[in-house]
Amino acid sequence: MEPLIATQDLKKVYRVGKVEVHALRGVDLVVQEGEFVAVVGPSGCGKSTLLHILGGLTPPTSGRVLVDGNDFMAMSDAERTRFRRHKIGFVFQRYNLLPTLTARDNIRIAQHIQGNGFNPHRFAMVTEMLGIADKLNRKPYALSGGEQQRVAIARAIICEPKILLADEPTGNLDSENSQIVLNMLRTLNRTFRQTILMITHNPEAAAVADRIVRMRDGRIVGS
Amino acid sequence: MIVENVLHRPIRTLVSILAVAIEVGMVMLVVGMTHGLLNEYAKRVEGVGADVMIQPPNASFFFGLSSAPMPVKIADRLAELPHVLAVTPVLFQSYSTGGVPIIVYGIDMPSWNRVTGGFVYLQGGPFRGPNDILVDDIYARDNHIRLGQTLNVYQDFQVVGIVEHGKGSRLFIPLATAQDMAGAHDKASIFYVKCVDPAYTDSVIASVRQLLPNYTVLSIKQFMTLVTSNDLPALTAFITALIAVAVCIGFLVIFLSMYTTITERTREIGILKSLGASKAYIIQVILREAALLCLVGIVAGIVGTIVAARVIQSSFPTISVDLTPLWGLRAAALALAGALLGAFYPAFRAARLDPVDALAYE
Ligand SMILES: Nc1ncnc2c1ncn2[C@@H]1O[C@H](COP(=O)(O)OP(=O)(O)O)[C@@H](O)[C@H]1O
Ligand SMILES: [Mg+2]
Repeated sequence: MEPLIATQDLKKVYRVGKVEVHALRGVDLVVQEGEFVAVVGPSGCGKSTLLHILGGLTPPTSGRVLVDGNDFMAMSDAERTRFRRHKIGFVFQRYNLLPTLTARDNIRIAQHIQGNGFNPHRFAMVTEMLGIADKLNRKPYALSGGEQQRVAIARAIICEPKILLADEPTGNLDSENSQIVLNMLRTLNRTFRQTILMITHNPEAAAVADRIVRMRDGRIVGS
Repeated sequence: MIVENVLHRPIRTLVSILAVAIEVGMVMLVVGMTHGLLNEYAKRVEGVGADVMIQPPNASFFFGLSSAPMPVKIADRLAELPHVLAVTPVLFQSYSTGGVPIIVYGIDMPSWNRVTGGFVYLQGGPFRGPNDILVDDIYARDNHIRLGQTLNVYQDFQVVGIVEHGKGSRLFIPLATAQDMAGAHDKASIFYVKCVDPAYTDSVIASVRQLLPNYTVLSIKQFMTLVTSNDLPALTAFITALIAVAVCIGFLVIFLSMYTTITERTREIGILKSLGASKAYIIQVILREAALLCLVGIVAGIVGTIVAARVIQSSFPTISVDLTPLWGLRAAALALAGALLGAFYPAFRAARLDPVDALAYE
């Protein structure tokens, strides 16, 4: 079966003024559909950059990136945006909820952007599963970190993305809340075969994944 | 989300709404007051009771203010034309009371009476001497003028009569006095012509045009339609300038408001992008927010203008403000266009933000 994600000699160079930062120096990564992969590595080794490229937030500099059969090198900005809209769900360390909206509207705006209309059944199922059904009328400031992250996960998966990309989802949470969030990610993976790529610093968090990918200096150094 | 964003920054929202309201109000009031002034003036001109008015070549057709008045002698030649019943010369003297412009009529009483059918004297009677003045009842009431008192209009006059309003002006002085004051001996600003029957108006106009080829000759009816039309021909430059200023204010405030908004919400725009929002989606969000601010501002502006018009009219009865729905719509359309234009650049910038940078923005 064709892998969901396949990169070959993927490179990313940031130009800051005259300085070139080689964030990725040739990454070869293959992820199968339904896998739960953890990406670990020291700070600054290019983990977030890899995630951003796979989610189409930023274009690669060179190399090949195939995600669900789409070649990112050949796609325009708008095409990557459309791809992201339909195929990718992001979860960030800082939750990144819209502060002026309630939890409900934060989730629904993802459905709105996707444009497939409101699916009440899916909405009820997701909020139920993440244990936030009774907190939907609250705004982010009135939610704990763990609750905010669960709302963010709900928002990420409400449109049934092919891939869930999580950048240190437990980085701001205490161990109890981390455990809840990790359990939910694992449930998502086990129950719905949700493909997940999760960056983490925490070895315990990495342990819930099927596979651990280690990075250093813009390269993968073992899995 | 748009409503929430707007409510999230109440002061910014309020200032934007206020700016649009002022913009709309300014356009409506300026146009309304101009209309009011003209309509009111036109009604008084109509009230003179003449059929034709004749002004010097190139006269600014409303108000008829001209630096080159016509020789009074022309009146005699006009009076000899067929179907003409009477002709009266008037010399305008512009004056203002408490900031309200007024045109004092210098009139020749005998011919004036023939054209207009004479004043209705509520108190007192006609001129007895060169320094007498007649005042209409509205002016007398607003300025607390009593019969017999002295009234200074560039020089001292004695109020000898209070007349019913509606005939040309609110203040009348003898023609010879007006000519002396203006240094325009034997000159007139306008001739009012009364036909033996209104049906002869067109033929009288034709013969006047023959007699005085370059002069501005209008039937009172034509004058009325010109002055009271929605598109003020004579004042366009003035009004256009004021409208342009008002629209600029609205444009700039919305521009600034939306510009600061996108800077403040850079991260939120990044979040929308991470969710897959297209450029068009983000532009739409910003434009809709601007449109919402603008629509509330328009409603506030229209309501405010109606209230302001009431207040103005009750505190200055000599000023009338004629608000027309057409100009309300025009003001609203201008405000909306200005707001969308002002929001467009910020919206465009927001749409072009790099999602990774925007997400990293503090
Ligand atoms: N937008 C950017 N502009 C310039 N340099 C960047 C940018 N994002 C990341 N980098 C640099 O790229 C390298 C990798 O960063 P990142 O992918 O965030 O690493 P990690 O997530 O593993 O900590 C770092 O040296 C970082 O400074
Ligand atoms: Mg990182």
